This record gives sequence, C-alpha cells and structure tokens, in this order.
Amino acid sequence: MTDLALELVSVTAGYGDNPIVREFSARLYAGTITTLIGGNGAGKSTLLRAIFGTNRHFSGQIVFKGETIEQLPPWERLKRGVGFVPQGRCNFPAMTVEENMKMGCYTLPAGRHVAAIERVANSFPMLRTKWRTDAGNLSGGEQQILEMAMVLLVEPTLLLLDEPSLGLSPKMQGDVFVTVQQVARTGVTVLVVEQNVRGALLISDRALVMEQGRLFMEGPAAEVRTDPRIRQAYLGGNIKQTAA
Amino acid sequence: MTVDAVYLLQLTLNGITLGLLYALIAVGLSLIFGVMEIINFAHGELLMLGAFAMAFALPVMGLLYWPAMAVAILATMLAGLAIYEVLLAPLKPDEFERSILITLGLSIIIIHAMQYIFTATPRLVDTQYGFEGIEIGSIRITWTRVIGAGAALVAFGGLYAVLRYTQFGRAMRAIAQNREAALMVGIRPRVVARNAVVLAAGLCGLAGAAISPIQLVTPYMGQFLIFKAFALVIIGGLGNIPGAIVAAVALGLVENWIGGFFEIVWQEAAVFVIMIAVVFLRPDGLFKRGGMRVG
Repeated sequence: MTDLALELVSVTAGYGDNPIVREFSARLYAGTITTLIGGNGAGKSTLLRAIFGTNRHFSGQIVFKGETIEQLPPWERLKRGVGFVPQGRCNFPAMTVEENMKMGCYTLPAGRHVAAIERVANSFPMLRTKWRTDAGNLSGGEQQILEMAMVLLVEPTLLLLDEPSLGLSPKMQGDVFVTVQQVARTGVTVLVVEQNVRGALLISDRALVMEQGRLFMEGPAAEVRTDPRIRQAYLGGNIKQTAA
Repeated sequence: MTVDAVYLLQLTLNGITLGLLYALIAVGLSLIFGVMEIINFAHGELLMLGAFAMAFALPVMGLLYWPAMAVAILATMLAGLAIYEVLLAPLKPDEFERSILITLGLSIIIIHAMQYIFTATPRLVDTQYGFEGIEIGSIRITWTRVIGAGAALVAFGGLYAVLRYTQFGRAMRAIAQNREAALMVGIRPRVVARNAVVLAAGLCGLAGAAISPIQLVTPYMGQFLIFKAFALVIIGGLGNIPGAIVAAVALGLVENWIGGFFEIVWQEAAVFVIMIAVVFLRPDGLFKRGGMRVG
C-alpha cells in the first residue's frame, strides 16, 4: 500500500447550512479495502456523498489521481473513476436488469456499452439469470449486486460502498463481502461503510473510525479490530458473534 | 330516451379523437412531473401557443397542414426550452411550492399577453382539408379529426420507442424512478429535465396544432385543459403514461356522450366528478401497476 488513491484534506461537508463531516483528513491506498466505522449519525454516509459530490462541500480538498475534485459535479467525478453505490435500494425498480445495466453505461460512449455489459455480467452470473426481471422484483442481495455491477460498468478505480450488506441475510452478507474482495483484487480501491463492522473489518486492509463528523482513529484493520475502545463500542464487547 | 346508433357512433368517434389530443397534454404533464416533481400549470398555454402558431403558419404555408404543424411543434418546443432555462432550471428539487406559483403565474401572464397582442376574438382555422371528411354511411368525420387522432397515435408510438429504447428517454424514466440512482450512474438531472420539458412542449404543440382546426382558437383555450389534464394524470396513476392515455381517451368519450345526450354544462364537470370518485375509491389511480412508468 504505497500508491495514494484518494486523499481527503480537512474536508468539511454536509447538507444545507449544516456541516456534518468536519475537517476530516484521511488517505486511501490503491487496491486496498478501507472500512469506515462510526455510530449512527457520525457522518459516514455524508463523507461518502462528499467524495462523490452529491451533497454540499464547505471546505477542504478531495484529491483524486493528483487532481482536486471537490468542485466537480458527480458525473464528472464518475468519469474520472469515482464510483458510488449509495445506501438502500439504489436502482431503477421498474426497469429490467438489462435496462439497469444499460443505464449503468450512461457515461460511456455508445460503442463500449456491449463490451462493458458483457464483461460485468460475466463476473456476476446471477444477473444473466434475471436479465428480464424488473430490478424491483429482485431479492435485496441481488439488488445490491446489481447496483455494484451498474457502477463497475464504467471501471471506476475508487468504489464507495454505503452499507452494502444492510438488510441482507447472513448468507447474502457473506456473498456481498466476497464480491467486494473480488472487486478489490482487480485493483479497485474500496471505501466501505458497513453496519456489520466485524465482517467488514475481516475483509479490510485498513479502517477509519469516525465520531461526530471527525476522524477518531485510523490504522490497519487488524489493529482497529483489537482496540478495546472499538471492541466495546462497535463489536459488542465480549459477546461472541460469528463473522459473516 | 331512445339512442340513435349512428348518433352514438358519431359521438364515440369524435370522443376518441378529442381524447387522444387530451392524452398528449396529460402525457407531457406526467413526464414533467416524473422527471422534475413539479406540476407545470402553464402546460395548457403551451397547447394554446401551438394552436396560435398553427393558425399563423397555415396562411403563410398556403394552408398546407403538415408544414404548418411542424412549425407549431418547433415553436412550442422553443417556448418550452425558454420556460425551462429561465424559470424552471433555477428551481431546486424540494421547491414544489415555488414551482406552482411560478408556472401558475406564467400561465396567467401568457394568456393575457396573447389576449393583449391578438385580442380575445376566437379564430376559425382553415386548412387544406377544409371541412371535408370521410363518410361511412350517414356518419361523417372531418379529415382534420382523423389526422389529429392519427398524429397523436404516431406521437405515442414515438414516445414509447424513445422512452423504451434510447438512453435519452430511459434517462427520463430513470430519474423519475430513483433520483439518487440516476446520480450514481452519472445522469445530469438538469439536462434530462430540460429534455423532458422540451419533449412535453412538443407534444403540446402537436396537440395544439391538431386541435386548432377542430375547435376555435382563443387565448383561453388552454386554461381549463390543464386542470382536465391534471385530473387525467391522477385518474391514470401519477407517472403512468399508458394510464394517462387510457384515462384521456375515456374522458373524451364520456364528455362527448354526456354532451350529446345531456345538458352541455355537465360535459365540463364530468372529468372532475370522476377524478374525485377515483381519488376516494382508488387513491393511486386506476392503473397502479405495470405500463411505461415515468414515476
């Protein structure tokens, strides 16, 4: 982990007149998985949205591939390689899987659509079996996979995932984590917010801990996992819990 | 009361024609609502502008129907573009109340500006087809009605193809279905909103051009149409395009039947009676599921 994929320099961001994330600085390294941990309302989703550009940026720099991107609209960031899968069901429910995939190609030149869809559909065989099903009729896990696939069509080098396993069965959560690992192995840098902190830490290289909008702690995932404060606050103390 | 079959058939055919033209308005309104989450209260005025454009273009074009209609459609699309860029583009997604005041105000301004410039005198619009028509037995339908209905059907076919098979159109459905997912895939909401407004304005232009040889053209002709179209959008299910078309054709029929057999005053009230009944009995509209949705 030497190459810098993303650098946040004292980022303050939020909604309307309310900054939620305050003076947040962090670095993500190329090809690694970083977990963003924090309680409810700590500002995790706000930080991801700030990196993708769908909320209000107050101050600070977001440096991606040597370029400051904090003033760019989301579609420009997407074109540069920042992909974001928001929390909750984030697809087009009354469109088929095929149409959703076509929408995923929105920023690509028309000539590349077929090849991009072919490539991503090969990585997620489930999608082909549901090709003509409306996205709204897929299971929660299938929708999550579809959403990740839609973003991977444009080959982002940074993937922001907001609660990918939320509301999924333990089995499906495991599948999603495996998928995230597969994606990272192709060289994509991943920043993931997860309610399943234990599971996320197990697949992550590094972890960022956020409290009340500020960076509270950062380090290798293995260290953060064993930190007593983190165990107490996010991993349920001593209670034995199987990781996904 | 005895019902004359020929008379009923005549009313029915006229009703279908009128309904298809209503549907053009309702579909555009639905499209703008789906993409921008606003009700365009100046929508009827776009129809009126289209009708006026037709009325002025026809004499210039030597009464030729199709070139004049093309001019009318183009003119309303430009009006739609201007309305979007000047008044609607600055709106933020959560400013529904402002959008009502802006479009309602715009509607009143357009009506009175047109009345000031062109007076309120109703205009009779003549085309190359005059009052000729086809006669089947003792039934007679003017060509302008037949062509108006045909043009509307072609427009629906085209609209369906655009929404279904092009990224341009799919982006409109996408944004209506999930705004955040639209951003996720890199859609630019303002570009899509502008496209939707211009497209909807074009449908209004088509309807206005088609209706001008059928009804008298006045600055007020669009005023009540917006409320009817809005009622149709509610009856058909918000954002449901086939629903709006079916509701519009049904309304055209009901209006003509009522107008043909009862006091004419009931014709105007019918749609709103039906709308209120639908809102009470089926709050999500008659056609909640399925169809080509933009919302």
